[in-house]
Amino acid sequence: MAAIRTDDLTKRFGDVVAVDGLDLTVEEGEVFGFLGPNGAGKSTTINVLLGFIEPSSGGAEVLGADVTTHSRAVRERIGLLPEGYGLYENLTGREHLVSAIETKEADDDPDELLDRVGLDPEDARRAAGGYSKGMQQRLGLAIALVGEPDLLVLDEPSSGLDPKGIKLLRNIVREEADRGATVFFSSHILDQVEKVCDRVGIMAEGELVALDTLDELRTEMGVGGVVEATVDAVPDLEPVRAVDGVRDVTATEDVVTVTCGDPAAKMPALRRIDDAATVEDIGIETTSLESLFEEYTNGEHEAVAAQPEKAAPVTGGED
Amino acid sequence: MRLATIARDDFTNARRSSIVLAVIGVFTVLVAMIFASEYGIYDEPYRTLFDVSAFVSFVFPLFLAPLAYLSIAGDRMDGTIKYVMGLPNSRAEYFFGKFVSRLSVATAAVVLGMFVSFVIAFATYVQAPSVERFAVFTGVTLAYTVSFVSIFVAISAAASSRSRAMFGALGAYFLFVVFWFGFFPVINLGTILDTVESLLGVTISDNTRSYVQLLSPATAYLQSTEPVYAGVFDQYQSFQMNFQPGSDKLHDQTWFAVLVMLAWSAVSLAVGYLSFRRSELG
Repeated sequence: MAAIRTDDLTKRFGDVVAVDGLDLTVEEGEVFGFLGPNGAGKSTTINVLLGFIEPSSGGAEVLGADVTTHSRAVRERIGLLPEGYGLYENLTGREHLVSAIETKEADDDPDELLDRVGLDPEDARRAAGGYSKGMQQRLGLAIALVGEPDLLVLDEPSSGLDPKGIKLLRNIVREEADRGATVFFSSHILDQVEKVCDRVGIMAEGELVALDTLDELRTEMGVGGVVEATVDAVPDLEPVRAVDGVRDVTATEDVVTVTCGDPAAKMPALRRIDDAATVEDIGIETTSLESLFEEYTNGEHEAVAAQPEKAAPVTGGED
Repeated sequence: MRLATIARDDFTNARRSSIVLAVIGVFTVLVAMIFASEYGIYDEPYRTLFDVSAFVSFVFPLFLAPLAYLSIAGDRMDGTIKYVMGLPNSRAEYFFGKFVSRLSVATAAVVLGMFVSFVIAFATYVQAPSVERFAVFTGVTLAYTVSFVSIFVAISAAASSRSRAMFGALGAYFLFVVFWFGFFPVINLGTILDTVESLLGVTISDNTRSYVQLLSPATAYLQSTEPVYAGVFDQYQSFQMNFQPGSDKLHDQTWFAVLVMLAWSAVSLAVGYLSFRRSELG
């Protein structure tokens, strides 16, 4: 049984088609990144899954239950962090969490959950009306974790979180996935998704424009990375262009930029440059999800590949 | 249980709100002031209850409006509804949970106001207040409260924005109170009925007019206070002008007036819920 399955799901608001014939299957146990710019139809899709809105046509199932006819059964088994949700301003964060535990008939210890999401016990006992966005997101995450849900639906969970909070979010997503939960993670901020998701789907203008693992997407796009070599003098570039897997070579006064279709082409290309000139410094960029994402959503594949310096900086490494 | 959790959270949120406390406080003070200002004029507290009933029927909906008109529309605007409805609550639990909470707040205002009034009456009036009369008065006032809280919560559920909820609530007030009582000299229930008569060339009997007159919760409320003055109608002219204690007409019966108020509640809640059940959240 799939965790989420949509079947030709379409949602129109008047003349606007927010979601256009979406066929999407998220398998149980996977961490799925649901990507796209604002207005791509991500939240509309999620709102249909929650039973907040009815599809114009097509349908959707969550954990085997029809979302329009069995909305409550669906919401009993999922943990939700909605985008742009609000809190009762005069209730404390902890009171919200306790109510969520009651409503889900779960037996979680609220203080344990608060500790897990890093919400300070003192803050948790203050009125939620005074919360920062980050505190509210942490509380929302705690609420989503109530009752060990089979499916976590996180809509833009990292918005408002500081880097520490984002790292915590990632760890929680991993822990939940290890427990066996499915995680459906929607975002327009990409480098966080890159690190936790098994598979991604990219939405643009209501349609799913890409669906695969990140590695596959990278290969499909033929973007193997960009090498920038600072040299004492620019050599003849033809031998570099001749390297198998190199797509483009350009040079400025003292920088040679090699764009590779295949990651394995980077080193041979660099050796050719090194053979002909003195390399003083090198920089390597692997394709970030963001540049991939821009290519998919803007259809500007070539432009992005030719101008690697405009792609988002690599965000891998320590976090 | 889930309805109770929703109602409790909403109620707690209201209880800690200074605006809500201010609304309840001002209402209590105003009712208490009516009692305090009349103890030198009348010996019997029930005569003051009559003035309070006029105040309640004309003005109390304006106190109930801020307590109820944003109950659901406000949650939609600030996203709190996503927190509640993201949990396994049904729309019915949410809608009626909100209603129960707001009704509880309004009930607190009525009960507190009547309690303070009773204490003042007890301390200052020549004749001691009757617990029974106060209890009946509180009871029918609560029926009136139920009708208007239902109307406002229903409007809130059907409204897609804050401003629509506000205009809806004001509209309901003007229709059921200002228009029905005829506070506007030119356009009111009486002139509309006159127009209907002349347009259709029919005569609307006084009896029919009395029935139509009773169909607003506000007019029904005044009619329903009749038992408060049981046995003392001859004491004051204002009682005799407003009530027909011996009448066997349906529109003069207390139970019928209470039924009108509760019918407004039932119809509003049904319409409000059905609209909310189909509406798009988020």
